[in-house]
This record gives sequence, structure tokens and C-alpha cells, in this order.
Amino acid sequence: MRFEGTLDIAAPRDRVWSFLTDPTQVTTCAPDVQSLDVSDPHHFKVVVRAGVGPIKGTFSMNVQFLELERPKHAAVLARGQAPGSAVQMVSNMDLSEFDDTHTVMEWSSEVTVSGMIQQVGARLMQGAADKITQQLFACIKTKLEASVPI
Amino acid sequence: MAVEIGGIGQSVKRKEDARFIRGRGNYVDDVKLPGMLYLDIARSPYAHARIKSIDTSKALAIPGVLAVITGKDLVPLKLEWMPTLMSDRQMVLPTDTVLYQAQEVAAVVATERYIAADGVAAIEVDYEPLPVVVDPIKALQPGATLVREDREQKDNHIWHWEVGDKAGTDKAFKDAEVVVKQDIYIPRIHVSSIETCGMVASFDKINGKLTVWMTTQAPHAIRTVIALVAGHLGLSEERIRVISPDIGGGFGGKVPVYPGYVLAIGASVLTGHPVKWIEDRSENIQADSFARDYHITAELAAKKDGTMQALRVKTVADHGAFDAAANPSKYPAGLFHIITGSYPFTKSFVEVDGAYTNKPPGGIAYRCSFRVTEAAFTIERLVDVLALEIKKDPAELRMQNFIPPTAFPYTSSLGWEYDSGDYGRALKLAMDKIGYAELRKEQAAKRAKGELMGIGISSFTEIVGAGPSKHFDILGIKMFDSCEIRVHPTGKAMVRLGVKSQGQGHETTFAQIVAEELGLPVGDIAVEEGDTDTAPYGLGTYASRSTPVAGGATAIAARKIREKAKLIAAHLLEASPDDIEWKDYKFQVKGVPAKSKTMQEVAFAAYTNHPQGMEAGLEAVDYYDPPNLTFPFGSYICVVDIDRGTGEVKVRRFVAVDDCGTIINPMIVEGQIHGGLTMGLAPALYEQINYDDDGNIQGGNFMDYLLPTAMETPSWETAKTTTPSPHHPIGAKGVGESATVGAPAAIANAVVDALAHLGVRHIDIPITPWKVQKILKEKGVAE
Repeated sequence: MRFEGTLDIAAPRDRVWSFLTDPTQVTTCAPDVQSLDVSDPHHFKVVVRAGVGPIKGTFSMNVQFLELERPKHAAVLARGQAPGSAVQMVSNMDLSEFDDTHTVMEWSSEVTVSGMIQQVGARLMQGAADKITQQLFACIKTKLEASVPI
Repeated sequence: MAVEIGGIGQSVKRKEDARFIRGRGNYVDDVKLPGMLYLDIARSPYAHARIKSIDTSKALAIPGVLAVITGKDLVPLKLEWMPTLMSDRQMVLPTDTVLYQAQEVAAVVATERYIAADGVAAIEVDYEPLPVVVDPIKALQPGATLVREDREQKDNHIWHWEVGDKAGTDKAFKDAEVVVKQDIYIPRIHVSSIETCGMVASFDKINGKLTVWMTTQAPHAIRTVIALVAGHLGLSEERIRVISPDIGGGFGGKVPVYPGYVLAIGASVLTGHPVKWIEDRSENIQADSFARDYHITAELAAKKDGTMQALRVKTVADHGAFDAAANPSKYPAGLFHIITGSYPFTKSFVEVDGAYTNKPPGGIAYRCSFRVTEAAFTIERLVDVLALEIKKDPAELRMQNFIPPTAFPYTSSLGWEYDSGDYGRALKLAMDKIGYAELRKEQAAKRAKGELMGIGISSFTEIVGAGPSKHFDILGIKMFDSCEIRVHPTGKAMVRLGVKSQGQGHETTFAQIVAEELGLPVGDIAVEEGDTDTAPYGLGTYASRSTPVAGGATAIAARKIREKAKLIAAHLLEASPDDIEWKDYKFQVKGVPAKSKTMQEVAFAAYTNHPQGMEAGLEAVDYYDPPNLTFPFGSYICVVDIDRGTGEVKVRRFVAVDDCGTIINPMIVEGQIHGGLTMGLAPALYEQINYDDDGNIQGGNFMDYLLPTAMETPSWETAKTTTPSPHHPIGAKGVGESATVGAPAAIANAVVDALAHLGVRHIDIPITPWKVQKILKEKGVAE
């Protein structure tokens, strides 16, 4: 499945970049984070609880920055597993300066889901993905657009 | 008299139903033993992945989890692989790579079923996903992702098999006046028996004896397989007892050996406790052997007047990651070369190539002898394609071409010797019963008004009763079957068989054969199957072989008893055996009906007053090696109406005329046909297991895999003709699968017939409303 979109953030590009590429900051917006373990600047491991319809599981996600071209482009590979299910996600992000205080983020994500969630939850996947994306971006906007960094 | 005995031809009520309708059946999951442990299986979420590590520590930390078994644990025992029935091998548990989604990865043994499931959830496996190939045609192309790295041969080609006269067939096509060609895909489906698979394994460490209760259609063969696979660990065949209790539907899915069985036995040997493993529904659909999945290209050559001449068929068979089908050794594509069907093609050529893909293994015969549904569907569809091409009525085209009744025994151009048949009579009866001519008039009138109605015919020929030992074996074991009869002193009998009922009603029908042969009332005859410690060796029940093979053994064993009984009767009647005749279920002195002895009197004498010099007792065993297969047939006609708004196909009427030779119990046969027709309707309109490009199953539960219910099933109309098999001891041919084999083509032909005037020539099954609506839109007739 491919997801993509554009997000306007009322914050300078450098600040947006720093937030989105810092595991400790960006994961504050991920759903239901259980733990975070940053191994090196390019790798971290995060455990999240997520669900699709009736199937809920704790996903242990290994995240790797494949490309980091500060301050405009990043690519991320995330691979995660829950009992009986697996997810792999390749995401790309491009930041452009609308002006000094506004940043435009163009993003896309190629998601492969397999196992139980795919088998039982396929019909519910789009809805679940939309919900998680909305929450994630709302959180990112709120945090970055706050006058005082939260 | 006959009614009292309950012999052949009587609709005797099923003896087994007394316990089934009261909920008192005894299935594997009903077996509960003291100290029994439970096994559950962790399965791969990926269709193809490298296993980097398996962390079992969290699972083992759960109170009640006693053991976790991984592939590495099986290596020292040489149990990480097991042979399939098709000269391939299959992983019990992987040591480094998984090859399909839902493949077994590890097993948890625990004190309770729920704890075992918790243990499975706590196992952490680190996978590295690998590229996936799900399409067998792509899998056979150069450079395709390699499924089986363990093989020496580094491609996905399993085997090539061909039969027939290639050069002669090619020439016939070159010279033909008319050639039609059709690509046909028979989708992957699943037997979906109501009872899933399972086992209780109980190893007695003191005596070294293993007893297993399991859902198997072939308990004796399984015992031998266990001895072959685990003989090196001390499990020797005389100390293995396989008990196949009541089975809730098999349909071919309970013939193979699944990894769960091996794991349950291993866990019992390891722990010294009985271990129970029962699949859940999704595991059953996702990992157990599938059926069909044939990609077929079929061509038919004919004269302009419709005379059929030659048939050429090329097929790619998708076997998933392991060739775990259950065909006779000599025939990797089963009996697919029955594909010439009811027609006297003079030249034919069939070739099949097996391919590996990242999908669950199998290729079992789902209620279709061996690959006979694929064959019957293809030829019956192709005949309709020809009818359209030369603008001839499909019934007339069939009548014109049928192998005539005078031609039997008939040897087909692909080498089968058909025993008997009268195809025209069956089709005529079906046409009369449904009112064929009237229906064609109605169709024309409806077409004029824009309404869509279709009539479809299928005049199939089946091939069952495998089989003669010169051609048929599984793992080298010849496909005979057996019956042992003991007549007790009080005139009651115990009958034991090498086959195993899964709902077919053997306890009744085999008792009827014995009743007919020995003149004992059917109620006095107990039939027992499925326990390898007591029953004679046999290859089991599948491919409609019970009546053709074990039925033959039963009749002959009974006749052996009758021969001996005749000598005892002569002794009792003080007459020469030559003067004794078997009449009205009694031994009589010829011409003196008053001087007679019943079988009960003879049985008593066999133990109390047998002639000096003769062995006491009244028992017989027969291992029956059939001289040939049997060839049941039938003609089905289906009428459908299509909703131009939704694309829904509604089966308005369905007439099934079957001919299975001598009928033992008409009520049971009718039941078999009703069930079989429903199982033929299912793939025609509803069932399919699909995979996405990542190898994710798209039909792994009953939300997505659409089994027809009473709501979808039409009211079947059945009729019969009777053409006995000349070589079978009672003339019976077997009927368990005819309807599943014959029905899909009748339904598909009816749908295509409804749309033929719009230029539609073929639609692959399942013919879903979505597919039909798409066609209606393309043709501009959707409402």
C-alpha cells in the first residue's frame, strides 16, 4: 500500500528537520509508545502498540535512516513485528521553505503488511492507517507550531 | 425378504447417525487423557524470509509452558524435514528460511491450550524478508526468485509429465477444419472440512509404544509413514497404533501428513505425556493442503459438422513450496488425462509442468478422485466453446459425439479403459426432466426482452477406484484395499476394513454388502474401521475408492465365507455340497426348499458342530486388487438467471442425472450427490484463495473465503441411470465425487450461455457478481 500527502507546518525548516529526524522527539508523536532505544544516529528501536480493527498488538519496530540530506530530504526504513504479523515501511520526506516561518513537507510511505493483520484486517487497513496518520501529523503540527517548544 | 435383510438397493437408515444426531460422535478433540499437554504452533507472517534468530526465552518464562521446539532442535533428531507422498520433502520446522505465509516456525508445549497460545505470542522471531514469487508461470521464467534453495536443481520446475501422441495430435490440429482454444484457470480452493486437523499423541515410555488418535483418511498408510520417518528413533511399526476416530469431513485434506502431527508425536516422545494438537480454523485454511490451482490451455480440433477429432492440453500446476499432493506415484498430475471425457477423440496429447511458489504446499484432490475436476471442467467448457464456434446447440453437439454404448469397454486415446457407459441415455433423461426444448424457447423470448437467462450442460465421465496394483501405488504401497469378516457363533458379524469413513456412511453400506452376500440382517453386522491394531491393512478412503476397492474386498470376503458355509450346510443337511444352492438368503437342497439352513444356523455349527477335518470358525479376509478403475458418469443441466443490476448469478434449476453402477443405498447416494453438488456450486460461484504480490493470503478465514450456505444453495433435482461396472464384484462404481466433478462446468456453461449473444465465450470461475457486472458494463447491458 502506498500513502502520500503534503503538510504545511508554521515553523522554520531547520526546526522541522531537527524535530523529525530526532528519534526522541518524533516518537513523542507516535501512537502508544512503550519504549525507545536509540542505538546510533542512524538506527533506533521503538515499541508501539497499534491495532487494526479487532487485532491489536505490540509492534517492535526497527527503524533505520537510509538517507539524511539536511535539511531537505530523508528516507526511513522501518520494520516491525507483532505476534503473527509483520510490517515493513519505506518512507520519504522532502522539506521545502515556503517562507522563513513556513515549511512544506511532502511525504510518501510504501507499506507492506503481512500475517494476521493483513489476513483478517485487510478491509480495515485504510481506515486504521488514515487515523494513525492524522493523529501523527496533528501532533507534529501542534508541537512545532507552539510558540514555546513543547 | 430383501427389506428385512437390508441388502443392496435398500435405503437403510444410517447406523452411525444414532450417535451423530445426538452429539455423541467421538472426534479427536473429544479424546482427553490424564496428564495431557497441549501444543500450539507459531507461524510465519512472511511468505518468504530468512530467519535471523528465534528468541524463546519470554515464552519459556510463562508458567505452564514446558517446552518450545524450533527447527534447530529437530536437526539432531533428523526430523526437520519429512518426506511428502510425492517424492518431495517438506519442512517440519525451518532451520533458516520460511517459504510461505503461515508456515510452521516453532511449537509450544504447555499444560493448557490457552497457555500454549500465550507462549506462541511470546516467541520473538527476527525475519529478513526475501523476494516472493506467487505466480507459477512467473516462477518458471528464467531469473525468477528461487523458492527451494535446498534442491540441487536451481529453478522452480518440479516435474514435467506428458501422455498421448504428440506428433499425431499436432498433425490432426494442422489438418483440422475447426480449432478452438481456451485458457482456463481452475483457482486454488480449500476443502474447509467442518472439523479441522488434529492429533492426540501418547507415547508410553516403558513399553515404547506410540498410540495416536488423528484425523486421517488413511490410518494404515500413516502408521507406515511414521515408522519410515521416525524408525531411526525407535518407533517401529509393530509398536505404533493409529486410531482414526469419527472424522468431520475429509475431502482429501486429511490424506497428507502435516508438520503438526510430527510435532505432536515428537512432543509426546520428549515429555512422556500425551500431547494434543488441534488446528484453529484460520490455520486450517492458511496452511493445510489446498486443491486445484491449475493454469490450463486447452485446444480442440473438429470437423465443421462438429465431429470431435483431437485434444491438446498444456498445463502449469502450482504446488506451492513443497509438492505435497497425494497422487499415486506414477501420476504426478493425478488422473488428469481423463480429460478426453465422454468423447472419442482419436488423437490427444496432455502435458503438465509442476511449479514451486511461495504459497502453502499441496495439490490434493478435493473430492475429485485425482485431478478429475480440473479435467472434467476443461473438456466440458471446451465443448461449449466449440458449440459457440460452429453455432450448434451444446446438447446436440454432445449427443453427436458421445462414445456409443456399444463401444465399451472403450480404450481412450490417452490409455484408459472405460468399463461401461451410456452417456446419451443420461443426457436424454436430464433434458427430459428439465424440459430442455421449452427452456430454449423461454431463453429466446427473454433475450428479445433483454433478460439474461442461460442453460448449461455438463456430461462428465469420472475415473475412480484407484487402483490396479500394476499402475497404482502411494509411496510404493499398492492401492489394494481389504476387508475382514468374522461371523460369530450367534450369527452376528464383525466387519473390519482398511478404508475409513469421514461421513460417507460406511457402517451402513458395507454392512449392506455383507447382508446381501450372507443373508444376515444389516442390524446384526457391525462395521469397524480406523484402528490399525484391529483393522486389516488398506490405503484408506479418498478418490471415491471405498466402494470400488474395499467394497470389492467385502463382497469377496463374504463369498469366501459363503463357500465355507456351504460345506457346513451340506454337512448339516446330510447332502453333497454339489446339491446345495444359495437361494433366498438360505442354503437349500436343490429342489427341496423345505430342507434348508440359514446362515445363523450354519454359523452356530461352525463353532459347535463343524465337520471333522474342517477348520472351526467362520472368518475370511480379502485383499482386493481391482482389475481396473471404474468410470461413473452423469449429465447435469443448470438454468441460471443473471441480475443485470448486481451481476448476481441465480441458479434457478439444477438437474443431476448420475450413473454410478449398482447402488448399495439409494438414500446415502442421494445425500452424497446433494453434498457434492453444493461443493461443485462453491468453486463455480464463490470460493477462491488468492494471494497478493507479497504472498499474503486473501481468503484465510470464512469472512473472505465464501462457503455456500443453505441460503445460496438451490434445490437440487436428482435422477439416475444404472449401468453396472462389468468388472466389479457387485457392479458398483463409487459416487462420492461425481457431483463435485460434474457441477462446476454446468454452472459456468450456463452463465456463459446467458451472455454468449453478447460475445462472451469464457469466464474463469468463481463467477462472482463483480466479474459479471464488469462484463455487463463492458457490453453496455448493465442496469
